[in-house]
Amino acid sequence: MRSILECQGLTKKYGDFFALSNLTLTLERGQIIGLLGPNGSGKTTLIKLANGLLIPTDGHIMINGLAPCPDTKKIVSYLPDRSFLNERMRISEILTFYSDFYDNFSMERAEKMLDALEIDRCARLRTLSKGNKEKTHLALVMSRDADLYILDEPIGGVDPAARDYILQTILTNYNENATVLISTHLIADIESILDRVIFLQNGQLALNALVDEIRTQYGKSVDALFREVFKC
Amino acid sequence: MLGKLIKYDLKASAKLFILLHALFLAACIFCRMLFINRLDFIHSSEQSLVTAIAIITSLMIFLIVALNLGSWLLITFRFYRNLFSREGYLSWTLPVSGLQHLWSKIISGYMYMALSTVVIGAGVLILVSGRNVVEAYSTIEPEVTEELGMSISSFAVSLFLYSIFACISTVIMTYFCITVGQLFPGHRILCALAAYFITNLVVQFLSLFLAFAFGYSPGYSSAFISDGKPIAESIWGTITLSTFLMIILSILQYIITHIIIKKKVNLL
Repeated sequence: MRSILECQGLTKKYGDFFALSNLTLTLERGQIIGLLGPNGSGKTTLIKLANGLLIPTDGHIMINGLAPCPDTKKIVSYLPDRSFLNERMRISEILTFYSDFYDNFSMERAEKMLDALEIDRCARLRTLSKGNKEKTHLALVMSRDADLYILDEPIGGVDPAARDYILQTILTNYNENATVLISTHLIADIESILDRVIFLQNGQLALNALVDEIRTQYGKSVDALFREVFKC
Repeated sequence: MLGKLIKYDLKASAKLFILLHALFLAACIFCRMLFINRLDFIHSSEQSLVTAIAIITSLMIFLIVALNLGSWLLITFRFYRNLFSREGYLSWTLPVSGLQHLWSKIISGYMYMALSTVVIGAGVLILVSGRNVVEAYSTIEPEVTEELGMSISSFAVSLFLYSIFACISTVIMTYFCITVGQLFPGHRILCALAAYFITNLVVQFLSLFLAFAFGYSPGYSSAFISDGKPIAESIWGTITLSTFLMIILSILQYIITHIIIKKKVNLL
């Protein structure tokens, strides 16, 4: 089976600044992977390149063997680090929108999650609290039967209780053959669900290892190793 | 997928569009019933008649320009927001191609602009179709028909059809300017505005140049056509040249927009 994501010499420049520099990386299926690194290390750039939101300066990125295109977008479920929906839309309209465009969207699963959150289908998105908006976004993304879930800072702006809910949602809704790539700064909160971590530093790969390997090889938690590697 | 994209594009601006156009039609009906129907073209003094017509015409021109601008702003903001602001994070990750996005915006934008032109045409018809206006016009009809080279109704229909056709060029030029603005990440809106003004300047310059070159500018005699022709000849000559220019520029702008969308979109 093909790797779900593969980068070869991937480079992205903004003016003279290298956001990603000659990155070579392969992600296999069936793992939850933490994409970690300090601000400006290239995490969001890599995620945007995988979703076709940026054009590489050099090198290439492949999803299931294809450069980002409508076919790869069918199998990638992406949660950006910002609100990406038209906030004037009602929740019911957003559900219909997802159902219209994504063949792998499960209306039943989405409704179940929204019911658990007690989110009114008639409410407009802009009327929801920040936490409920983020949970709604996540519910939509996780209601797709995707091969690759890319979650950019899914727990960044919510309280600890909501973080638990979000992590639980991720764990209970992804297909075991699928890969989940999570970018975050809050390593301690997600460490327990990760199979593998990727450290990015200055747009380059600093570490790509299984969480268990880190624990046995370094005798440290991922959070502790991160603090050591990226010490200011 | 294209049909679904068009459906959501139309739906996004529908309420405001309908409201604006319903208000315009209501204003036309109001103006016709309260002012135009009360104009007495036979017994009123020339000065009072001219004053009343000047006021009504100015007001209606203002409303028509405002309505047209409103429709244009609706499609402009939809294109920018949906593709290049935070909503772009969803739009560009839908399983559709950049070409489908572009065509959905062109088709929905054209539908709105063309519909707006139809409503403006209907509004003008409401204003000028009163019995008093028709009777007053009949007294000057022969001179107008001779000057135009055709009846005023044929002239109006031709102008209306040209306007409907010209909407496509407005839509493509607008999208072209916004897309060009995206090439300058630090100043997207400013550069889109600059692209709009520069493009308009070039179009105006080329139109004027061609009109003078082919002698279609009233009162100007060129090497190709002698002076003393009816006004309609100048108007239709200018319109024909503008149409060719419009078609060529629209094709060029479409190609450039397509290339930028395909190869240069960077959502920062």
